[in-house]
Amino acid sequence: MDSYDLLFGGGRWWIPLSEGALTTVTIAASGFVLGAIFGSALALMRLGGNAVARRLADIYTTTLRGIPDLLVIYLLYFGGSGALGLIGGFFGATGFIGIPTFATGALALGVVSAAYQAEVFRGAFKAIARGELEAGRACGMSGPAMFRRIVAPQALRFALPGLGNVWQLILKETALISVVGLVELMRAAQVGAGSTRQPFLFYLSAFVLYLVITSISGRLFARAEAICARPYRRA
Amino acid sequence: MDFRFLGETFMTLLAALPLTLYLALVSSICGALGALVLALMRLSSARPLSLIARAYVFVFRGTPLLIQLFLIYYGLGQFRPSLQMLGLWPFFRDPIYCTIAALAMNTAAYGSEIVRGGLAAVPRGAVEAAIACGMSPGLRFRRVVLPLATRIALPAYGNELIVMVKATSLASTITIMEVTGIAGKLIAETYRTMEIFACAAAIYLLINFVLTRLVLTLEWWMSPDRTTRRVLEQIGETKVKVTA
Amino acid sequence: MTLMTSTRQNEPSAMPLPNDERPKKIEIEGLRKSFGKIEVLKGISLEACQGDVVAILGASGSGKSTLLRCLNFLETPDAGTLSICGERITMPASAKGRMIQVDRQTLIRIRTRAAMVFQSFNLWSHMTVLENVIEAPIQVQRRPRAVCVAEAEAVLARVGLAEKRHTYPAMLSGGQQQRVAIARALAMRPEVLLFDEPTSALDPELVGEVLTVMRSLADEGRTMLVVTHEMGFARHVSSRTVFLHQGLVEEEGPSADVFANPKSERFRQFIRRIEV
Repeated sequence: MDSYDLLFGGGRWWIPLSEGALTTVTIAASGFVLGAIFGSALALMRLGGNAVARRLADIYTTTLRGIPDLLVIYLLYFGGSGALGLIGGFFGATGFIGIPTFATGALALGVVSAAYQAEVFRGAFKAIARGELEAGRACGMSGPAMFRRIVAPQALRFALPGLGNVWQLILKETALISVVGLVELMRAAQVGAGSTRQPFLFYLSAFVLYLVITSISGRLFARAEAICARPYRRA
Repeated sequence: MDFRFLGETFMTLLAALPLTLYLALVSSICGALGALVLALMRLSSARPLSLIARAYVFVFRGTPLLIQLFLIYYGLGQFRPSLQMLGLWPFFRDPIYCTIAALAMNTAAYGSEIVRGGLAAVPRGAVEAAIACGMSPGLRFRRVVLPLATRIALPAYGNELIVMVKATSLASTITIMEVTGIAGKLIAETYRTMEIFACAAAIYLLINFVLTRLVLTLEWWMSPDRTTRRVLEQIGETKVKVTA
Repeated sequence: MTLMTSTRQNEPSAMPLPNDERPKKIEIEGLRKSFGKIEVLKGISLEACQGDVVAILGASGSGKSTLLRCLNFLETPDAGTLSICGERITMPASAKGRMIQVDRQTLIRIRTRAAMVFQSFNLWSHMTVLENVIEAPIQVQRRPRAVCVAEAEAVLARVGLAEKRHTYPAMLSGGQQQRVAIARALAMRPEVLLFDEPTSALDPELVGEVLTVMRSLADEGRTMLVVTHEMGFARHVSSRTVFLHQGLVEEEGPSADVFANPKSERFRQFIRRIEV
């Protein structure tokens, strides 16, 4: 069978590959959302007045940005399984209990990207002109009202370029989840490469698919940025 | 807490440290040269050159490092007969060489953007002054543009070096037993995830701490003015506090 | 500048009332404020009746901006009594550095009755001109949207910017931005307008348009407190002038008197320095 036949003809390998691509996007999105939640909490800790919280958030950020993501994935996968094993052992189960790889992967992406997203959010908050907050206060706005009406919309806009970078980062990190057996794009290519003995074809196909995904999402982020930048454009 | 196990694990992992450092160092050096060449191509007035550089950066920044590594190591293995004929097989058969190639090609793409930013940020007036002194383009680049650009790009390039150190861990996926590889193997054997993770994390944090200090020192050394130096010294002090 | 040549014939319309019968809008007694070890306001007393336009002058660091910010509670005073549009608040001496919390409803009342215009405009950059103006009336004062929009368009017309209502602040000149900020303050239907150096951040050629708007507000009989460096405005538009020096009132009185024969030597020097 030639390459074309293998992928689109009788081999029909395009199906598992595109399913894998879909999983890649889904897990990236899940990790991104989790990271945004953890990240905003971290950003609040770093911006807040509590010195202990600030220090803890600092340590988290420094650590997570300094160690390989593979290690984090191992920790969550084997650590999570170990914890499950303990609980299982309590109920009489023995041996290794695998935990859902999708959940592990999404959690790992969230935990890692939170460190980056926290920085993005913190920077975005700091970019808001202090005078605008003062004007809100002078009008009698309450703290929550100022957050909702002045801080959040602007911080989101200032965070958008940074969030776009983090999203691209996460998309590429998803490939690492293949090591714990989640069948995303990378793993799907490995399976295809193994069973057809055509590694170059399959890795190249995945390579191209990754490129398509990252460039499409890059375009989308650029569009969103352009829309959000409108109020700030000078005549 | 089992301190004996921790100690043993730490020593086992430490034995793999030279390999991690070797991978990081060699690929960073090759990658930096590649980055400079790519940045110059990108900025050159010859359209084909700048187009090639743009395409290269687009492709390598748009795909995961892991798949780049697999494409080189496993993918090219498919063409073994041709590679053997060309005499390149010993290179592509070796996982270490393949890792270095993938890491270097990858960091060259990211690094070229940083270098390009640094070159673009060189004040126009400094270049004009060099022209006014009668410096030739080559001399100008070597004596004025490159030193200034290096100083500007250094902090961002420091971050890229840390990313490189972390990226060496991917070598473990193609059978290389560097620090993460050993850690993964130990975890799979003993299931003592937390302890092993802590030891491996400590080693990486240590490398990155030293690396950060080195880059700061380099920045300090490259900033002749006192104010910048003082600021850098302060950053250095807080860095120590945060990590300690 | 046109303001220099204008005379005080067009006195605020509230003037016919004898001074003592006009309601007092602002009363300050013994106001003190420190930042750390530095005492910026050392016991200031001041009054403004309905229709008064009070110019607050002083060298930089004399405490004039801090005084204004205390009136809006952007800074919490350490001691003294403030009475703003009928809200009387006595600050306890902060012997232990503790500050009292003014309750939220009172704070809203004060802030919407004494509206602030800033030196650096502080428009919300993510909102259009109209959105800036209707924000506080809708979100803080909880007035119906339709009414707020109609009123906002009226105040925007008032400052000559009706046609800019759908543009964003970044596209406006400094003078236009400051006029929007004035419209934003007016939209809250305030009883007092506080201006904190409203023309200091503007290019010289843009100062005039803002001063024109402010003068028309003064002519309308609005109560205004204006921290300014514009001597023309103080001399010819304001009804009363207060000169601060190192956190204390150094000279005070009807503007005509104060400028005609200043009692304080420092104020005399100040006028001479500025008006050269």
